[in-house]
Amino acid sequence: MKIIFEHEEENNTGHLQEEEDVSIELPSDIVRKEPLPIPNVNEVDVVRHYTNLSRMNFGVDIGFYPLGSCTMKYNPKVNEDAARAEGFSNLHPLSPEECTQGSLKLMWELKEYLKDITGMDDFSLQPSAGAQSELLGVMIAKAHFRSKGEKRTKAIIPDSAHGTNPATASICKLETITIPSDSRGNMDIGRYKELLSPEVALVMLTNPNTLGLFDENTTEISHLAHKNGTLMYCDGANMNALLGITRPGDQGFDMIHLNLHKTFSTPHGGGGPGAGVLGVKSFLAEYLPIPQVVKRDSRYSLDYASKKSVGRVRSFYGNFGMHVRAYSYIHSWGTQIRKVSEHAVLNANYLQGLLKDTFDLAYDRRCAHEFVLSSRRFGEKSALNIAKRLMDYGFHPPTIYFPLIVPEALMIEPTETESKETLDRFVLALKKIASELKEHPEIVKQAPLSTPVGRLDEVAAARRPNLRWRPSQRQTKVE
Amino acid sequence: MDYIPATEKDIKEMLNLVGVSSINDLVREFIPAFRGKLNLPQPKSELELLGHMKGLAHTNKVLRCFIGAGAYNHYIPSAVSHLLARGDLYTGYTPYQAEMSQGTLQAIYEFQSFICLLTGMDVANASLYEGASALAEAALLSCSYTGRDHIFVKEGLHPQYLEVLQTYCEGSELTVTDKIDDKTACVIAQNPDFYGNIENMHYLAEQAHSAGALFTTCIIEPTSLAILEPPGKYGADIVAGEGQSFGIPLSFGGPYLGFIAVKDFLLKKLPGRICGMTTDSKGNRGFVLTFQAREQHIRRERATSNITTNQALMALAATIYLALMGRTGLTRVAKLSYARAHLLNGKLEKVGFRNLNIKPFYNEFVVKVPGSAEALTSRLLKKGILGGVNLAEDSLLICCTEMNSVQDIDDFVSAVAGD
Repeated sequence: MKIIFEHEEENNTGHLQEEEDVSIELPSDIVRKEPLPIPNVNEVDVVRHYTNLSRMNFGVDIGFYPLGSCTMKYNPKVNEDAARAEGFSNLHPLSPEECTQGSLKLMWELKEYLKDITGMDDFSLQPSAGAQSELLGVMIAKAHFRSKGEKRTKAIIPDSAHGTNPATASICKLETITIPSDSRGNMDIGRYKELLSPEVALVMLTNPNTLGLFDENTTEISHLAHKNGTLMYCDGANMNALLGITRPGDQGFDMIHLNLHKTFSTPHGGGGPGAGVLGVKSFLAEYLPIPQVVKRDSRYSLDYASKKSVGRVRSFYGNFGMHVRAYSYIHSWGTQIRKVSEHAVLNANYLQGLLKDTFDLAYDRRCAHEFVLSSRRFGEKSALNIAKRLMDYGFHPPTIYFPLIVPEALMIEPTETESKETLDRFVLALKKIASELKEHPEIVKQAPLSTPVGRLDEVAAARRPNLRWRPSQRQTKVE
Repeated sequence: MDYIPATEKDIKEMLNLVGVSSINDLVREFIPAFRGKLNLPQPKSELELLGHMKGLAHTNKVLRCFIGAGAYNHYIPSAVSHLLARGDLYTGYTPYQAEMSQGTLQAIYEFQSFICLLTGMDVANASLYEGASALAEAALLSCSYTGRDHIFVKEGLHPQYLEVLQTYCEGSELTVTDKIDDKTACVIAQNPDFYGNIENMHYLAEQAHSAGALFTTCIIEPTSLAILEPPGKYGADIVAGEGQSFGIPLSFGGPYLGFIAVKDFLLKKLPGRICGMTTDSKGNRGFVLTFQAREQHIRRERATSNITTNQALMALAATIYLALMGRTGLTRVAKLSYARAHLLNGKLEKVGFRNLNIKPFYNEFVVKVPGSAEALTSRLLKKGILGGVNLAEDSLLICCTEMNSVQDIDDFVSAVAGD
């Protein structure tokens, strides 16, 4: 494939009319002196270029995508149509409220549904992704302690948490105390009790955790935290296991973020946009970002009044297009939404049951919506080799080498939208690869053989960085 | 609607293998029960659902738009949304498995290249959430690089961007100040600024550098780059901003597209994903995510940022937009936006408005209105026109793009010149 910049200069004048009488009268020291260095390519070639690129890609629409911790479920098409409706997609964010009642109503109702689902008292839809919700959550915790005249400087985070948790704590100048996992994959409660001190601002628990396990001591962890004046933060990235089954708000969590692009099926877009939303208990609601959507009588408006708000974490009101899709998804399931999580858990336990003898199960107990296998019996780099070989069988690989606490980790999340037939085919492929690893390991080590490119040299990419096209590299190597 | 393919027979077989008699028994083994009833709406068929959603959308009113202020109403060629709707692109995730994600990766590489070519910078990342938090990331980057903790912001920064910057600074225990000295990590200036003014940035860059600080340009209306001097030429070390103008719908404020580009010496401090070119086992060209050791999933508390999910699909929209418009098209967008804004400004000056811009402006400008700005915008609203943002009792921030026809401009003027 060519890069777009390698196309020959073509005629490209059709999208806007040339207007004769347009003249720019700007001082010469502020205007561009050289012509804009981007190519003119005709529309048909642009369309072919990106259509061909799309054919070198894999998405949920093509096949099974069990990328653990990312909840790659099917993204219903109707939600795309909803978000593209003219009234949503062409609405300027600074339109007066009389023009935006539909959007504001949608946002207000979405918050109500999320409150109900999580057992929280209020929500902010502003954060753009889970990591930004975490940042907001830690800022709120700091503001809470500041208003109480306390300075707390530490965050307790189990080693099975997402990497964003410690990264976020560190941005907010909190020191991370890492707690190891016990033999059942829970946060080691003994170590927790030892390390919980008056300096601890919050416990950040991913629940179910990245091992796919629901922490069996959740209520006790919360109880001890609260006795210590510490806040409980739930990384709710794995909420797909819990919808309608249990509510984090009932287990003592004071804050939770949800990833609408995971649990509520908004498409992952090749890496985003997502939407993170943050739910809090009422005593923290005054710290949520402004503006908040409020309802008075039957009118909706944006309220900027909160004096204690930590401020804004982004412009405008959040990734509204994602709010539309998540809202639409919740409406499609409505009162039946529990079925989503029931089937996510069933599919995961079924797969785990079929695979636990071929590989080593990191923790042999019921999993929630995902589970972690170790391929350590097949030696070093085996998880990588298995992942690459799975591509030849038409599957996207699971998450590998994460969580870091399991050697040769394969983290598998099937989601509820996969059929038994698909799961069975996946098991067959993994078992076949396991026997290939014993009988013809070279095939697995050379994989993938069926993808548009072979195994890529990541070391060379970092050693000799080429991170952008330069006019001087025109027509390098084009197959 | 039900998106679960399992039949009764499948469920029975699966439960058998798992060794439980019902799904409820399975989840109850390890998840404490919620015994209440969720107060959610009744499930809807697709037909009902679409009716409900379109009904809500119709409750909004989309008017002729003369508002910018961080969200710009530019023309989006039809091919953009058609290409974005391809499931192989939008239903994938972060390209951790490069061999299966060459489409997304090459598009990111092209996006990084477009941003560098437009801004005159050396290297860009794969995207950030949106402009304001991208600017905050630039501030964090500057503090981390210089080891200093003060941020100077030039007057004229979009007020929401300033608020976001202050929120991030508060969280990270940094200070936004009003003087440049030996504590200053970076000098931030928006260009064109919130009021549309185009500044000569050379002297500010020199001021920043002579204090040992980095210079950051914030760009929120990037179509301006088609006609303005690129920041890389006037000494910017970091350019951060918003790419919504490039083929992304207004969508009530999001999803938009944050971008950040830096000079080479800051590469290792960049937040977020970066895509690089490499070769495969047969020597063919290919693309991978690179420099991942900066990122949270590996580095955890020592990461350069906590960002994970970014705005990849929006970056793709911008890439396709820029490819479709090309040099000719993008230059026309900029020239038309400039021309329409100046046409409207000229006509308003003839009916008693006074331009308040202190510098030349691009496609946004501030006018002092004869009476109350609020009364004026409500009069325009009645004519189906979003007339601008009220900045004060008697001043209005107005924006034009190629979407505002000469007829629209005449209608605007006749609506306000009525009395």
